[in-house]
Amino acid sequence: MTRNDKPIDAQERLDDEGASRSLVESPADRMSRRGFMRGSGGLGLSLPLLGGLAPSLGLGLSPGRAQAATAGQCVLGVTQEAVNFNPLLYVNTGVETSVEFIVFDALWKLDPEGKFLPNLAAEIPSQENGGISKDGRGWTIKLRPDVVWHDGSPFTSADVVFTLDTLLNPKVTVRSRNGHEHVESYNAADDHTIHIKLKDDFAPYLVSWQKTSIIPKHILASVPDINTAPFNTQPVGTGPFKFKSRVAGSYIEFEPNPKYHGGAPKLSSLVQKYVPDQQTLFAQFQTGEVDIFDTQGIPPLLYAKAKTLPGSKIELSASPFVEFIYFNCGKPQFADKRVRQALYMAIDKKTWIDAVYYGVPTPTLSYLSPRHWAYNKNLKDPGYSPQKAGALLDEVGWKVGADGVRAKDGVRLAFTMSTTAGNKSREQAQQVVQQQLKKINVEMTIKNMPASVVWGDYTVKSQFDTLMVGWDPLLYPDPDYTDRIHSKLIPAKGGTGSNYVQYENPEIDALCAKGVSTVGQAQRMVIYDRIQEILLEDLPFAPIFAYQVIIGVKDRMHGYRVNPYTPINSWNTNEWSVS
Amino acid sequence: MTRYVLSRLGQSLLLLVGVSIIGFGLMHLAPGGPFAIYTLNPTVTAQDIERVKHQFGLDQPVYVQYAKWAFGLATGQWGYSFFGGRPVSSIVLERLPATFELMGSSLALALIIGVAIGVIAAVRRNSWIDYTTTTAAMIALSLPTFWFGLLAIYLFAQTLGWLPAGGIASTGGGGLMDRLQHLLLPMLVLAFVIVAQWSRYTRSAMLDILDQDFMRTARAKGLRPARVLVGYGLRAALVPLVTLAGLQLPLLVGGALVTETVFSWPGMGLLFVNALGTRDYPVLMAILMVGALVVVLGNLLADILAALIDPRIKLGHV
Amino acid sequence: MSDVLLAEIATVAPSGRAHVLRRFLRHRLALLGVIVIAFLGFVAASAPWLAPYDPDEIAIAQRYSPPLSEGRLLGADDLGRDVETRLMYAGRISLSVGISAMLVTLVVGFAVGAFAAYLGGWIDTLLMRLTDVMLCFPSVFLLLFVAAFVTPSLSTIALMIGLTCWMEIARIVHAQILALKSADFIAAARMAGAPAWRIVLRQILPNTLAPILVAATLNTANAILLESYISFLGYGIQPPQASWGNMLTNAQSDFQVDPWLAVFPGLAITLAVASFNFIGDGLRDALDPRVRD
Repeated sequence: MTRNDKPIDAQERLDDEGASRSLVESPADRMSRRGFMRGSGGLGLSLPLLGGLAPSLGLGLSPGRAQAATAGQCVLGVTQEAVNFNPLLYVNTGVETSVEFIVFDALWKLDPEGKFLPNLAAEIPSQENGGISKDGRGWTIKLRPDVVWHDGSPFTSADVVFTLDTLLNPKVTVRSRNGHEHVESYNAADDHTIHIKLKDDFAPYLVSWQKTSIIPKHILASVPDINTAPFNTQPVGTGPFKFKSRVAGSYIEFEPNPKYHGGAPKLSSLVQKYVPDQQTLFAQFQTGEVDIFDTQGIPPLLYAKAKTLPGSKIELSASPFVEFIYFNCGKPQFADKRVRQALYMAIDKKTWIDAVYYGVPTPTLSYLSPRHWAYNKNLKDPGYSPQKAGALLDEVGWKVGADGVRAKDGVRLAFTMSTTAGNKSREQAQQVVQQQLKKINVEMTIKNMPASVVWGDYTVKSQFDTLMVGWDPLLYPDPDYTDRIHSKLIPAKGGTGSNYVQYENPEIDALCAKGVSTVGQAQRMVIYDRIQEILLEDLPFAPIFAYQVIIGVKDRMHGYRVNPYTPINSWNTNEWSVS
Repeated sequence: MTRYVLSRLGQSLLLLVGVSIIGFGLMHLAPGGPFAIYTLNPTVTAQDIERVKHQFGLDQPVYVQYAKWAFGLATGQWGYSFFGGRPVSSIVLERLPATFELMGSSLALALIIGVAIGVIAAVRRNSWIDYTTTTAAMIALSLPTFWFGLLAIYLFAQTLGWLPAGGIASTGGGGLMDRLQHLLLPMLVLAFVIVAQWSRYTRSAMLDILDQDFMRTARAKGLRPARVLVGYGLRAALVPLVTLAGLQLPLLVGGALVTETVFSWPGMGLLFVNALGTRDYPVLMAILMVGALVVVLGNLLADILAALIDPRIKLGHV
Repeated sequence: MSDVLLAEIATVAPSGRAHVLRRFLRHRLALLGVIVIAFLGFVAASAPWLAPYDPDEIAIAQRYSPPLSEGRLLGADDLGRDVETRLMYAGRISLSVGISAMLVTLVVGFAVGAFAAYLGGWIDTLLMRLTDVMLCFPSVFLLLFVAAFVTPSLSTIALMIGLTCWMEIARIVHAQILALKSADFIAAARMAGAPAWRIVLRQILPNTLAPILVAATLNTANAILLESYISFLGYGIQPPQASWGNMLTNAQSDFQVDPWLAVFPGLAITLAVASFNFIGDGLRDALDPRVRD
């Protein structure tokens, strides 16, 4: 065969010469497991890629920092990219919440001790000062008169009303109604006063407003579709900093708002920098390119070494997220709560925390962290005992079969456990748990999937066997957990909540309702104690630990305070300064 | 010639339609969707998710969604991102320059070095130069690139501190020097692999040519070897080389996903990786179509150039 | 009479087997490649007997031990499992994936290319256009999409990689068969009265074999590399099973605590891939009818 009558198509020409087209960079993709989603509330999702605790060259700032910009500038490093800056619409809690805190204000804030601080409101409404009516359903909120939007327009109650309008508008794709669906009616009494009437008793309503930043009516009211408004990428708020510019895929820059009602910020510039890889971000923190390492924080593996870094402080920030093993109570293996109890006893939580997470998280026996005011301090840990676990299973009828796996009535005690694929810590934990369960003749298979698959219908429609996941209460710091445990809120059975485990217990249902309608911390504590007690007994999900995020802060930063009640610690940027 | 080009363009359009159908279909048939991120957010209820689904039109049958999307694309409406509501066209266009910068410089550098090495290896066939370069090239093509890139960062950025550990520029902008510093490492890592491919390819093409009669004739005529090599040899090798160049054109746009991710380079590759993770369908489809378009155009360009250079090649022959 | 004629015609086909072998053996790197692959294959196949430990045996107390400590040749990983053992078992997986993927590519590619070329007409156009469409996808894209579809396991991953790499082979086969259809010796054989299947088997197949063999080895190399990238993505072999790809991926996060963990799987991958590439090169040189001896 001669060369002349071969087809001359480019690709075929190359094939003939044997050039393999797929050799150049082709397979090179890596789906960004490195923290592209807030799985488990975004913690521990990131797959650290690069090592690098080389001795710091001690030359101060590395080539990565333009000298001129550093005076008075703070760089906050995060591992996910914030793309939507509209506080009602964004989806990526954490990095986008950070932008919200920097550019916008809510009516009040939560400080690290859990106290509410008035922000746009003049004072926190309560029954004592007449802000909340006797029956708890009428709210009167007085607003500060001295607040100005970044474009100069004055802030008034019309903006708050507009915010509520937008939140409750079914045509708008809000991230969440934040509990405002309990509102019956509302109006602006004057330019600086709002009246709200609730449909029912709803104790966590104070938190609802803490989570709702106010958006400007004068800009957004005339926009044809708020979902695609340019405002979402060029936000205008009342917060301590104004949005300055954004370099796609790289960073967002803010400049101080001199007219901020809480006092002009002390920084000359604030940058939120996106570095997709945790370990690369750590490298940049080390060299000083980044002043604060927030969101997912420093990987636990590097905790010990991070503490020895000169020129920086490492703080542990308690987080609202608790790590669980979720049991799908609708599956035959888990229908009996004693099976779940036995499995819980067969897992060595201490090894899990110490070996996989280097002792950083706090063990917990409830969906709340032990530091929370509503945590039931009298909960008893069933302990780690494979013998007791095996005995309990035998007692209930799950005997070891011929294949070495327990079975009962034709059902084998074999199941899958799923979580986000590529999450190194979770994979390690799964393998440890797998071995421990093997010892009591229970077969657990690891079945991990990418985040967008495992947290989609697989979870929501309760298709899983078990999940390893971290979640927080709906309106943290309120201890209300109705959404995840109420029998009417099972999506797989037509409900509308987040009760993915398909747990049904009428006593819990009643207690949940009582919990939100009771006012007064002491009384509520009694109710939530009982809820936690029942949950530890029934174990629809097995609590393991409460996350602690390892935050790195350079010594030149002042005023930075970790806040366990917010998903990210940018809540007080007006107080930050650099030396 | 014009008829050929027009006919090819027509075929390309059909190809692109085929690509869009397959891509769209695969995307929607795959499990998971853009709502996983809502699940992870405890304040979002299943009802909210249904509402959002309706808003994005995702509760309609696949072919209806495809028709709407295709119609939109044809009329210049690329759609809006699921996460942020920004117009897809601006999202994609703002990432192109970064990818151009990285890929353009890598390809240019790799081309020059690669061709040079290939020619030398061909001319000095079976010498130690030939063996070393061939082996080195082969190893370069066999290394997992992410491994290589990370080792490079570890060595040059962390241990030695000579270069920044990623990113395109320092925060707050940066001068030319700063941009070059950031570009150097990813460019070299990429070029390393591309050089390997070009050198092998050039070597193979040159070997064919060097053996041919016309080369021997030129040498017998007494022309200087260098002149023979470049004037006749390289010119003859241009056809396959141009072909390869045309086929690598898509890289200019598609970017190198691993390298961009490893070096946090804000280009198309990283955009694709993130969009895929979050199942941002409009952005994914846009990137796919842009990529496919460049592939198709690159092929066409390579064929036309080849025909222009070598009159023996008849276009349209099958 | 026809048999004698056919036999004579058959010898006109380029390169007898002994000839090819001799040329291949002169290619030093290819030889080295064969030796390395043979070694890796042997170790992988005999892992259940040769390996010193259980690949899943967790020993937290010995985590991150460097090579040549605690009685382990290559050290222990982040959960205290033996690296040498896991490397061997991982070899079974990675090499199997590579070869299976290559087989899928061959079968699908050959089927598409052969059908199209032999049947001609609109089937030809349809199949080759389909090939073109598949080639228009930036290579990664296709792989990712398909990866999103399936639960990862050895067979599904091999299938995935195979289904995204068959296009090249299809084109090669298509081109070869088309060219052959009009070749002199084929015409002669037809004139001599040989039945179609005989022609395909004795004339066409041996002639298409050469570029297919080369493509096959290069495909295997590529498949092993792709497996490592897929593992990176999280679509790869799931824990606790080990593959070179997922061992390497895991090692990245432990890099500064124990850099050794990244060395061995990376080396294994590079060795295997490079060896297959060298073999492919050697085959190409040996089988190339244009090279004069």
